[in-house]
Amino acid sequence: MADYEEQISDQEKLRIAEDFIKHAPPGEFNEVFNDVRVLFDNDGLLKSGAASSFSQYNKEQFTPVKIEGAEHQVLVTSHGELPDGTFIDPKSKQKFSYDHLRKEASNAEPIDVDQEAEPWREQLDSEYRKYIQNHYPHGIGTVYGKNVNGNITLIACCEDHQFQPQNFWNGRWRAEWTISFQGPGSTSELKGLIKVQVHYYEDGNVQLVSSKEITSEVKVTSENGTAKSIVDVIKDEEESFQKALSENYSTMSQTTFKALRRQLPVTRTRLDWNKIAGYKIGQELKTTTS
Amino acid sequence: MTERQLDYALDLMRRLPPQQIEKNLSDLIDLVPELCEDLLSSVDQPLKVARDKTTGKDYLLCDYNRDGDSYRSPWSNTYDPPLEDGAVPSEKLRKLEQDANVAFDQYREMYFEGGVSSVYLWDLDHGFAGVILIKKAGDGSKKIKGCWDSIHVIEVQEKSGGRNAHYKLTSTVMLWLQTHKQGSGIMNLGGSLTRQVETDSPMSEAGSHIVNMGKLIEDMENKMRNTLNEIYFGKTRDIVNALRSVQSLEDAGKMKNMQAELFQHLKNRQK
Repeated sequence: MADYEEQISDQEKLRIAEDFIKHAPPGEFNEVFNDVRVLFDNDGLLKSGAASSFSQYNKEQFTPVKIEGAEHQVLVTSHGELPDGTFIDPKSKQKFSYDHLRKEASNAEPIDVDQEAEPWREQLDSEYRKYIQNHYPHGIGTVYGKNVNGNITLIACCEDHQFQPQNFWNGRWRAEWTISFQGPGSTSELKGLIKVQVHYYEDGNVQLVSSKEITSEVKVTSENGTAKSIVDVIKDEEESFQKALSENYSTMSQTTFKALRRQLPVTRTRLDWNKIAGYKIGQELKTTTS
Repeated sequence: MTERQLDYALDLMRRLPPQQIEKNLSDLIDLVPELCEDLLSSVDQPLKVARDKTTGKDYLLCDYNRDGDSYRSPWSNTYDPPLEDGAVPSEKLRKLEQDANVAFDQYREMYFEGGVSSVYLWDLDHGFAGVILIKKAGDGSKKIKGCWDSIHVIEVQEKSGGRNAHYKLTSTVMLWLQTHKQGSGIMNLGGSLTRQVETDSPMSEAGSHIVNMGKLIEDMENKMRNTLNEIYFGKTRDIVNALRSVQSLEDAGKMKNMQAELFQHLKNRQK
């Protein structure tokens, strides 16, 4: 414990501050940021030094944002980030600046998209949105398309969150699916990552953190056929994950939890504390008399 | 400043993932070393088990039986590593501490059927305070790891010439569940809940404190077990299912409309 007296460098403190910020539960960035700000007690250094953690948090969380004039929301993710720190909305074919503290988009302007990847992206975008609408009550999706020397990569991202700080809980579901292919006729690997985090904090701090990595295969055919096949796999995999999670909940509650502590002793009655306190006195008498 | 900082530090600890509580706490102390002692005494951590070298019995470690880098065993009343002048309860209180350890050992066996328990008491100006600790780890059956930690801190004030006593109980239960399976990937459900209760109870004989504390803690832990059950396996699961629906929302919507139509139809017929 004596080690705690030693002071650590500002750089080391900044690393800790950033680490705390990046671990803010969904919907609690502002609260965690405020706590860290008071504890770090150096606004100048925090704002200049920890800026990358703000953007990392927003990208990691798939933070949705609305560009002025757009009908849909777009996700802020690392896949949509341009080298100058702006983000793209592949659907409206725009790029925009994003304020990572205010969580606002601005300066939207049109961009050129890759003509070879776009038909594939567009088909997946449309199928994926239908799927999200059908299974995510507040889901937002964004599909990216890239082309590197004729090798097309599609990345589909989805997030659904519910923030209810007035009821002391927040939760977020994220999913990310990636596929790369050269063109029709091949079978390609579809990789997925699902993450779920739930925070309940009324007189406590209870969190569910769950994630699963998935690798599957999709036959690449036409633009539309491929999009449908990809979404079919996504639907099956996400559903089986959700069902497995549900089964874990049942086993944890019916087996694991019950084995940790009983509701009542085997006798089905509460303890007779007079007997327990008295038993000890009786035992003592026995040892002193013997 | 520091007092204000403590509130923010505690708020932060209530938000960061409890699964990394030990790392978060040690980072927090590095960040604000002035808060070290306050944080160690107000942030509950998962209990650690040590073995008493004299009696061979296991006991639990927490901030309340720590003096410097040493911990006191409730069984032999000695510190490990040994301390010349480590804090120990007064002779009278140590007697009660020994009896309480025996009593709560029985309580633990009845409800937990295993695990480790320890009771530590310390003297106050007008009474005493204590902590009742219980730890039970699951056997890992069905590939799920589980662990329960109870931390009951109790403050006792004797009143009206020793005929009554006031008990203030703050209980924290930590529950940790973890699994890594092919179908569900990694699932980590953990954290803690804290509850408080205050009560006055009569003192009739020497063992009264144990009877009063025992009843109070048994009642509290039974209630908390129910709350944990609801929050862990009900509430957080409902939230997950509010984020994604296994059933198609379109189908669910159609079903709802159909029910509404049917209801309207029946209502019209009754007229």
